[in-house]
Order: sequence, then C-alpha cells, then structure tokens
Amino acid sequence: MNTATSTSNPSRAEPKTQMQGRDNIRFDHVGFRYTRDAEILSDLSFSLPCGSMTYVTGASGAGKTTLLKLIYLHMRPTRGLISVFGRDTSQIDRKAIPALKRRMGIVLQDFDLIDHLNVFENVALPLRVAGQKRAAYKDDVSGLLKWVGLGGRAHALPQMLSGGEKQRAAIARAVIAKPEILIADEPTGNVDQDMAKRLIRLFTEMNRLGTTVVIATHNKDLIPKDASILALVNGQISNVTNDAGIKA
Amino acid sequence: MTDSITTQEQPLFPRRKKDDRPLFIVFVILSFLATLTLLASASANRAAADWHTDLASSVTVQIKPNDKPGAAALARDILLQSSAVTAVTILPVERSKELLKPWLGGAALPKDLPLPILLDVRLHAGQAIDNQQISAAFLAANIRADIDDPQKWAKEIKRPTNAAQALSVTALVLIITACITAAVFATRAAITGQRRLIDVLHQVGAPPSYTARLFSANFALTGLKAGGLGAGTALLVSGLIGMMFASSSGVSFFLPGLHLTLTDIYLVIAVPILLAIIIAFASWRTIIKTLYEEIYP
Ligand SMILES: Nc1ncnc2c1ncn2[C@@H]1O[C@H](COP(=O)(O)OP(=O)(O)OP(=O)(O)O)[C@@H](O)[C@H]1O
Ligand SMILES: [Mg+2]
Repeated sequence: MNTATSTSNPSRAEPKTQMQGRDNIRFDHVGFRYTRDAEILSDLSFSLPCGSMTYVTGASGAGKTTLLKLIYLHMRPTRGLISVFGRDTSQIDRKAIPALKRRMGIVLQDFDLIDHLNVFENVALPLRVAGQKRAAYKDDVSGLLKWVGLGGRAHALPQMLSGGEKQRAAIARAVIAKPEILIADEPTGNVDQDMAKRLIRLFTEMNRLGTTVVIATHNKDLIPKDASILALVNGQISNVTNDAGIKA
Repeated sequence: MTDSITTQEQPLFPRRKKDDRPLFIVFVILSFLATLTLLASASANRAAADWHTDLASSVTVQIKPNDKPGAAALARDILLQSSAVTAVTILPVERSKELLKPWLGGAALPKDLPLPILLDVRLHAGQAIDNQQISAAFLAANIRADIDDPQKWAKEIKRPTNAAQALSVTALVLIITACITAAVFATRAAITGQRRLIDVLHQVGAPPSYTARLFSANFALTGLKAGGLGAGTALLVSGLIGMMFASSSGVSFFLPGLHLTLTDIYLVIAVPILLAIIIAFASWRTIIKTLYEEIYP
C-alpha cells in the first residue's frame, strides 16, 4: 500500500495509515433474501481490510448490487452479521446510520443524479448535507470537476449530459467528501474502454490515498491482474483472488 | 466555469411556481376564511362587551303612576343605601313624556295622563344591585316600582354571542382540518415526485430530519405567503363590507369596519404565521413517517 500524500489530487483524501490492517468491512455468515423465495446471497463470510481495493464480479443477477447495498447499510441482512467501520451493523441505532453513510461514497448503477440540480450542485451535495459552507468547498468541487473532465459542464443539468459524463459526475459526488469507504456499482457500465480505464485509475488513486474501495463489475477486462476479486456465483463466493486480505 | 454557478446556491427542493399554484390558492382561501371568521368573532365580542358594560353600569327604576307623592324621593333613599349605587337621578316628567313619544306619537299628551316617574340609577363599575332586596324594601315602603334587570338583557345578548362564538370555533376547526389535509396531500405528492432527491439525500448521509426540514420548510413558506395574501384580503374585504353596511347606524354587528383595533392587526399578522406552523407540522410528520417506513431501514 502506498500511503504517500498527493498534492495533485483535488479530493485530498488523508492517508489512513493508523487504520491499516484493521477490517473495514466484515461479513459473517451473511444471508439475504428479498422475498420468501430462495436466498439471493447465502452464507457469505469475508473481510475487507482498511485501504484494500476489491472487485466484486459475477453474472448479471448474481447479487453484486445486493451485496453492495448491504455494505452501504441500505438494507439489513436476513441472517448473519455485518460490521462496517468495526461496528456490528445489527447493533447500530438507525439514527446513527446517516453519520456512517457520510463516511462512505457511493456510485450507483443508475447514477442517481438529481435532475433539477446542475452538475456542480450534484457533486457538492454530500458536503452541503454535511453542513459545510459553500465558500469552503467551492474550489474543491471545481477542482474535482476539472479532474474528472467536467470542468466545462459545471452548470449543465444531468439531462444535458452523456452517459459517460453522468457517470463521472456520480463518481465525483461519491469521492468529493473524501470517504473512508468507496462503493461503486458498475461504475464503467456506460463508457468506452478508454474512459473506463481512466475511471478505474481514479479509484486506484483514491485507494492509494487510503480509501477502502469496493467495485462491482462484470467487465473482467478492467480488472488488473493482481487485484483482489470476490466472485459471486449463485449467491455464494465461488472464487477469491486473495492478495489484499480477503478471508473466504 | 462561470462565477454565478459557484456562488449562487441552487435550492435543493425544486421550486416550480406552476406546481405550487393550486396549493397556494387553497392556502389563500383557507387563510382568508380563517381571518374573516376571527375578525367577525372579535368584532361581535367587542360589540357585546360594549353593550354589556353600558347596560351593567346603569339601572332604570320606574315608579308606577299615581303612586303616593314623595314616592320617588323615598325610592331614591332606599336605592342609595345599596353599596353598588353611586347616584340616583329623578328624571323630570318631560323625560318620561319624551320616552313615551315613540309609542304615543307626537300628539300633545293630556295633562292628567298618569305618567311613571323614572329614576336613573348609576352603579359602580362591575357591581350590581340586589334586585330582590330592593324590591322587598320598596314593598315595605309601599312603593310600587319596576326595576329593569340588566342581567336579563345581558343574558339576551350573551346567547347570540355564544352562538356566534361556537360557530366561529366550528369554522376554525374545519379550516385547520382542511389546511392539515391539504398539507399532507401536497407532501405525499412531493414525496412521490421527489423520490430520487429523497433517495440521494439518504445515500449521501442526510439524516431524516434534514430531508423533512427541506420539504416542510418549502410548504411552510408557501403557507406563509398564501396566508399573508389571504389574511390581507380578508382585512380589506371586511373593512369594505363594514364600511358599506355600517354607514347608516355607525355600527356593524359582525365586522370591524373602519374601526381597526390592535386585536384585528394582531389577528391578521398571526393567521399566516399560525397557518405556516400548522402546515410545517403536518408536512413534517408526513415525511418523517414515510422516511422511517420506506427509506431508512
Ligand atoms: N428489490 C428486489 N426485490 C426482489 N428481488 C430483487 C430485488 N432487487 C434485486 N432482486 C433480485 O436479486 C437478484 C440479484 O440482484 P442484483 O441486483 O444484486 O444483481 P447484480 O449482480 O447486481 O446484477 P447486474 O449485474 O445485472 O446489476 C436478481 O435475481 C434480482 O432479480
Ligand atoms: Mg447490479
């Protein structure tokens, strides 16, 4: 893990050396079902240490999105234990969840940009919600937008953006608040291979600065050879390429 | 990047005038009705109270005609013994004649027509004479006299005043219910229309109270503006109506007319504020309930 600070990165994530080696996300015999039918995820056990970067793979419908939703506390598991930031999520009061979510950045499969807000406002949203003053974050947001190639699109509304531009705006929103955990669901689904590689580089850079990154994708070409992979088949972990501490 | 983008904050809740207009109109009407009701009720109360004090501060005693001479003086002495009485005036016969004019017409009254003698009895503010005791004293002194009972009149006035008040309270309860219903309805529509905003705010870690504040503040502001317009219009309309119908007698029963009191001003200011508070509360409860049931696990 490289923990050197970079002055060129506008997101300015602090290196989290003191957290290295501790588990950031941990699943213990986790099962999940949406309905009374079969479990979508069954008996998942793994842990992702602080500062790790993991790819979740699997066919369409394998349960990648479901797994990510469990990590970012969107849903609670039907059985088993999930801990995030070292806290057992079943013990967390729901009032405490928003504060935990502010420590995460999330890129959803369908971007979830707000239609009536321009790109700048969409990206600045996490900071605004966290109560930061506009004067304090103005330059950060502008800088990050330039960094993801949206410098000239700050005042465009989402419906005026291409698929790839929306994707980049959604990613910028996920990283603007320097999250400790970054979760991205199919973040390269709508862009060409070049743009996809650039976006993956952004995630790698975030990770280099200490952020724990979890990316779900079925585009295996994007995954570096030495990456940690968590492959889902039939709701179970079928294969783990373990070099970042995934315990299957 | 233009500076306007980075300095001008866009409102998180989209304000589209066209979408807000139906709700705005409903709130204007409700505020108008509430203000009119309150103005009328306050005005009626004031009129009743005025009459009440007028009536209560004096009593008229009628000594039957052809009573023994000196009865009036004797009656006055009896009345003056009551601690409630400040002064007693024996009205001259001319006044009695004058008072009878409406009934007997302007024709010259026969000289020997038996006329009652009237005593005007002034009372200490807020005090009343004991009718039974005075009547007994008159009887003992062999004076045949009628005492007007102001309490009887006060009751006569009180009854319609109470009825009007009950009516106003009923109207206000209905108006508040309509206001809450409209706010809940509009909030539900906004929740459906702004579902993505709600989801994203949740996703970026906004607590439910943040989202609820965003929504309820928007509706409260609409309510405040609409309430101001409604209350102002109600004041204007009641002033006009009061002016039109009060011109002959100088008093209109239910409306303040041009005689605005401080209470009327307070009412006109208070109605929009109360409306906004009620709307904010109703909207807040609706969205918090939805957030906890549907969005926050
Ligand atoms: N809200 C839901 N209610 C019921 N079933 C659901 C729901 N969401 C997803 N599922 C089902 O759960 C399974 C896993 O869905 P999930 O979205 O996690 O797959 P995925 O791996 O992300 O697929 P993709 O690559 O297409 O995004 C699917 O069979 C899907 O139909
Ligand atoms: Mg998915």
